[in-house]
Amino acid sequence: MIRNVFRTLFPKGYSFLRPEALVLFVIVWEAAAWLWPSWPSLLHKVLPALERDFTDPTFVQAVVGSARRMSIGYVWVMLVGISGGMLLGRLPIVDQLLGSFAVAIHAIPGAAWVPLSIVWFGMTERAVIFTVLLGAAGIVMVETDTGIREVPPLIGRAARTLGARGLNYFWFIVVPAAIPKIVGGLRLAWAFGWRALMAGELLTSVNGLGQRLNQVAKAQQLDQLLALMLLIAAIGIVVDGMIFKRLEYEVRVRWGLV
Amino acid sequence: MQVELRHVSKTFRQNGRTIEVLQDINLTVREGEFVCLLGPSGCGKSTIINLIAGLESSDQGEVFVGGTPVTGPDPSRVVVFQDAALFPWLTVQGNVEFGLRMAGVGPAERHARALEYLKLVHLSKFVHAYPHQLSGGMKQRVAIARALVLQPAVLLLDEPFAALDAQTRAVLQNELLEIWELARPTILFVTHNVREATGLADRVYVISSRPGRIRDTQTIAVPRPRHADDPVLQAHQYKILGILGEEVEKVFQEELGETVHFPEARHEASSEQARGMHI
Repeated sequence: MIRNVFRTLFPKGYSFLRPEALVLFVIVWEAAAWLWPSWPSLLHKVLPALERDFTDPTFVQAVVGSARRMSIGYVWVMLVGISGGMLLGRLPIVDQLLGSFAVAIHAIPGAAWVPLSIVWFGMTERAVIFTVLLGAAGIVMVETDTGIREVPPLIGRAARTLGARGLNYFWFIVVPAAIPKIVGGLRLAWAFGWRALMAGELLTSVNGLGQRLNQVAKAQQLDQLLALMLLIAAIGIVVDGMIFKRLEYEVRVRWGLV
Repeated sequence: MQVELRHVSKTFRQNGRTIEVLQDINLTVREGEFVCLLGPSGCGKSTIINLIAGLESSDQGEVFVGGTPVTGPDPSRVVVFQDAALFPWLTVQGNVEFGLRMAGVGPAERHARALEYLKLVHLSKFVHAYPHQLSGGMKQRVAIARALVLQPAVLLLDEPFAALDAQTRAVLQNELLEIWELARPTILFVTHNVREATGLADRVYVISSRPGRIRDTQTIAVPRPRHADDPVLQAHQYKILGILGEEVEKVFQEELGETVHFPEARHEASSEQARGMHI
């Protein structure tokens, strides 16, 4: 029955979570809990703690808050990352002047941007969103740039003999040809962004999952802490699997890359 | 429109070596003529197509189409490539309409014209399919429709049927001839298949390799529809195979450093070989 539920939710071709994996996970966890008493049981301690959390309105607010900040940040990441990448790929002058900056921004981990964000925006939501932007835009820029530069030569030649030139060529050939790479970059950006979000929330006093981690760690509540981490990981896996991985797969199939 | 190459040469530099891809090519294709460029791999036939299409430029000599020199690609000289080169993000209809869209034709007229040509290549049921859902033969049909919908003066085909099985190839060859009869563009068709060349073309240029030169021209004065067992065709094929045999031996010699001998090329041909079946 569990299998059927999974099959309807996650059709074949890009299932990202097998029921068997979950079962194995639970078994290993419980075995560890049995062996090391200080490690809380998943079924008896951690999951109930999570259940209790969801009855707490501040907790629910935190989850919603994190989701909201992530969404806003991600929209910015898409805007800045894709347009930046297009400029880098298309205009040599932009690449010469700003190319290294894009790579540099990408090289700095999201968490490392938090101090600067706090300096500029204070301990506010904006600082967190800014952290997400800086943590994730870099990869989108880099992937978009590569995608823009790598039009399959045969496609390019066919397009030119059919009369595509200049701006037409850019919008109708170069950009569509780059979409698989761009989508790949957006998928990675989600993971980078989610990480940056947690780091940002951990270090600012904004009411989110990250900050809650801090609270719970201070209160030395291991089962709550683990519950929180599971939730954070689960959100990451589900969003990646159900949205991005699926989108990437469908795009690659249509573009003939699979 | 008439296509003319005058004293065209092109060299490539590779690993410090200079390879003469084309050496003093002179050819003239009259308006509405169907000409085949035939030769072994690497003999520069694709380069000739690229030069006429304006995708490459010659190192020496000039390329004229309709009396004017070729300076760059243009939809009056469309190319159909061996690998269809369809745009994967567009449907069949989108692909066929592409050139018209670039030319600024409005959506209603684009739709109508695209459908017209898709009917000609017998793909009207696949209008909304995407290229990844199509077979090789279907992709080539779309590529041909995409090219012809622009009613180009010159149609260039670079081994368009080489990747297809024999039956599909035969069907598409006929379809191509049928469509050609309608608008009569000037056609340059590159192939390495002797039977295909003699079956389709008014004239066949036999091109040698490295350096690429025109070894021979055969005028196939056989009315269409042509039959595979026509003795005139077979005589042409036999003659061409003789020349090609020498060329292929030369290529083997150069590439492998081995002397390879094709005895059939010099002796009385078997019927298999005369029909090009051994290629």
